[in-house]
This record gives sequence, structure tokens and C-alpha cells, in this order.
Amino acid sequence: MQIGFNFTSGSALPLVRQLISEGRIDFVEILIDNFLQVAPRELAAAFDCPVAFHIMFSKFLESDLDFLEDLAGRLRTYIDALKPVYVSDHLLRFSHEGRNLFHFAEIDYVSEYDAVRERVEWWQSRIGRRLYLENYPSIMDGGRDAPAFFERLTRESGVGVLFDLSNAVITNLNCGLSLDAWHDIISTTTRFHVAGYHTSFIKPHVIVDSHDRELSSETDTFLESRRQYIEKPGSTITYERDFNIERDSISADLDNLRRIFGLLGESRRQVQGNVV
Amino acid sequence: MPLIRPSRIRIDSELLDALSAPASQQNYADDVRAFVRIDHSIRTYWHTLFDVCPGLLRLSGPDGQSVFRPFMAWAAEQRLSFGWSYYLWVYIWLRQSEFRGLLDSDLRLSLMAASAARWATFDRSKAAAIAIGCMEVQGLVCGFKPCALDASMTVEYQELEKAIASPDGQFGFFTSSGPEIDRFPGWYAIPK
Repeated sequence: MQIGFNFTSGSALPLVRQLISEGRIDFVEILIDNFLQVAPRELAAAFDCPVAFHIMFSKFLESDLDFLEDLAGRLRTYIDALKPVYVSDHLLRFSHEGRNLFHFAEIDYVSEYDAVRERVEWWQSRIGRRLYLENYPSIMDGGRDAPAFFERLTRESGVGVLFDLSNAVITNLNCGLSLDAWHDIISTTTRFHVAGYHTSFIKPHVIVDSHDRELSSETDTFLESRRQYIEKPGSTITYERDFNIERDSISADLDNLRRIFGLLGESRRQVQGNVV
Repeated sequence: MPLIRPSRIRIDSELLDALSAPASQQNYADDVRAFVRIDHSIRTYWHTLFDVCPGLLRLSGPDGQSVFRPFMAWAAEQRLSFGWSYYLWVYIWLRQSEFRGLLDSDLRLSLMAASAARWATFDRSKAAAIAIGCMEVQGLVCGFKPCALDASMTVEYQELEKAIASPDGQFGFFTSSGPEIDRFPGWYAIPK
């Protein structure tokens, strides 16, 4: 089991390097499309540990194919140079009728399945690696269809799931979807995410994803109860923090993760890639 | 443990039309999760505007609503895409609004800088830099994507050594494949 931290901006470079040197993280998940103007050689030399790639703005479900072909070509240059342990992307709706959504929307897992599967297969083929797709932090009940959707998609397209445990907790709290509904996905995937969330501004019983604070007690409990299914040879879990980048708070959460997985005090080991 | 309440609206996709329409939020007042979902989306548009350009609050008052709500309604009529040019269209709308007499060069520059920054942060084309011009401004507001690992995106105001033609519209732009703005290929109209 390897624990990582997300790297999204050059301003976080000193912190990330410190987390590596302190043995708090074993790998770095780079939000790769934020760094496409940085030379691959410079990025490859950035960290004294393995890296993974997370793609944010390919918008592969809705971008035109010429753009995606070009973007995939540039991403492959970084994949070849850095050999990430995994490549992941987002299964989201970024726009509606040509108008950008600033808070991204959830797809309709039932009516859009065939179109999504077709585009996922094509995008994965252009990336040239197995692609891991992240589950959404649902507010509306459509999120209850997500586990069956991901199970079918992985079976029929060969993509993997980047299973975000805290997103599943959000969906549980908002929609009542049992955490047990994700059992088969947790048992089979090797890629995990986790982050903090908060209550919505106007109704505290509705939860929204935020990446701005420490993990909730519900997320901790979920992690501890599923440890035996998460922990597999080569498994990775990335702790995401995008706001309130506070060293002590982040360190406390990373130490808690290491405690849950029995890694406190262990030095870093080589992350086992799952290159396809 | 939060209380889960039934929702009349089942899937997120049913809310797509409302996610950028503040006026439609009240239509979902009896559906708590749909109401919150729309609220969260609308707040993101609000914060993207006023957190980045707090000078707009001087026009609208502290809640921003007298600028935000009519602009968003106009943006829907115009089918604006809410791309990197979001802030430039706010300025274009302000010039035809009741606030037109209150606009000044600082506010205009802050909106141009915000658009340059948004391009430098979210654009995924091969271009490395953008220059935004305005018919009322001599120089260019330029945004640069980070080209080193420890760098962040930057925005600069650049004076011109030689005068160039003004854009045809209120604003125009061009991009550069390299990390410097060192040639003028002509103006492009800002995307809707």
C-alpha cells in the first residue's frame, strides 16, 4: 500500500518535497495538464519518488476529437518520460449546451452509458495506457446508479476505477447509497483517492466535496472498515488537498492514513506500477 | 448523521438548465437537495467573479447581486459560453448597464487581468501565452502559463514599443506559442 499527495501547482513544490523527505508520502500524483508547458525532463527530475498522473481538463466526453488527439499526443510524451504508476481522468459533465459549468455536473449513468463507453474506450486508446476514472460526489439520487455503471464500464471497456472513498461517503450521506454498494469495485481496483468535504452553505445536511480540510470521521471509519479490501500489492491511495494548504493539517491526515494502513514509521518503498 | 430527505428531482442532469440561472433557483425551493445543488453551482459563478475582481462590489454593494443577477440573465440570452472571456463580457455588459457611469480604468484592467489569468490556468491548447487588447487601452494585458516546475501562471501589463491597431470590438486577443509576446499576428474576436 502506497500513500501519495496531489501536486497541482508549483507553489506547493516545497511542501510536497518536504512530505517526501519526511517519509509521509510514497508517491506524488501530478495534475498533469497543469504542467504541459513544463519540459518533460524537468518534470521527470522533480521528485525523488514515483509519480502518478491525474487529468483534470481533457473534458474527454465533450471535447472535439482533433483537440483530444493533440492533447493525448502531448500527454503521451509525459507518460513516456515519467512512466506514471497510473493515469486517471474525470467522468464529468463540464458544460451544458455549449456553456461551461463552473461546478461540474454528474452524468446520467443510465441514459448515457453507451455514448460514455464509446468515448471512454476511444480516449483510453489515445492515452495508450489503462485509464482510471473517478467516481462523483453525488448530491442527487442519480448517484445511486454509479456503482452498477462503473462495474459494467470496467467489465466492458477495460478502464479502471479511481475510487474516491470520500466521494462515496458524500454520496452515502446525500443519497443514502450504502457504502456496501461499492464492495466489488473496492475489492478489484488498486487506485484510491481520499479528501475532505464540508456541509453546504445553506443546508447543513447536504454535503459537498471541497478538498479544503481534514478527513471526516465517517471517511476514517470507511477506510478502517475496508482496509483489507483496499490493501493489495501495488495499491495506491492519494490524499487530495486543494485549498487551505496547511502543512500541519495535511501531515496529520497523512499520518492518520499511514496509521490506518500500518505504515507509520515505514520508509518509502517502490510503488508497483500497474502498467497496461 | 445528516438526514436524507426525498428529492423530487432524481438526477443531476435534470438541473443542467438551472445551474447557471440564479433566477430559476426558487423553482426548486421545495426540493432541498436540488436547491442546494443549484445554490452551490451559482455560488461558484459568483465567487469566480467577485473573489477575483472585488472592485465590482463597489458598484453593486457587498452581496454583488445587483451586478450578478442581471449579468447572468443577459449572459443566458446571449448564450455566453462562460469560457476564459467571462470577465470581459461582464465589462461589456456593464458598459450598457446602469453602472456604465461608474466604470474606471482600474476595474477594466482588473477584469482584463482576470480573463488573462483564467486563460493561463484553464486553457489546454499548445499556446503558452495570451495577449488581450482593448480599444480604450494602449498596452496589452498578457497571461502566461507556468513554464517551470516551481512557477505559477503570471499576468502582466505590457506597454507597446510600437502602436498597433485597436481591436474591432471592445476587446480582442491573440496567443503566442512561445513564452513571450513578441509579435502581433492580428486580433481575434473574444469567444462568446
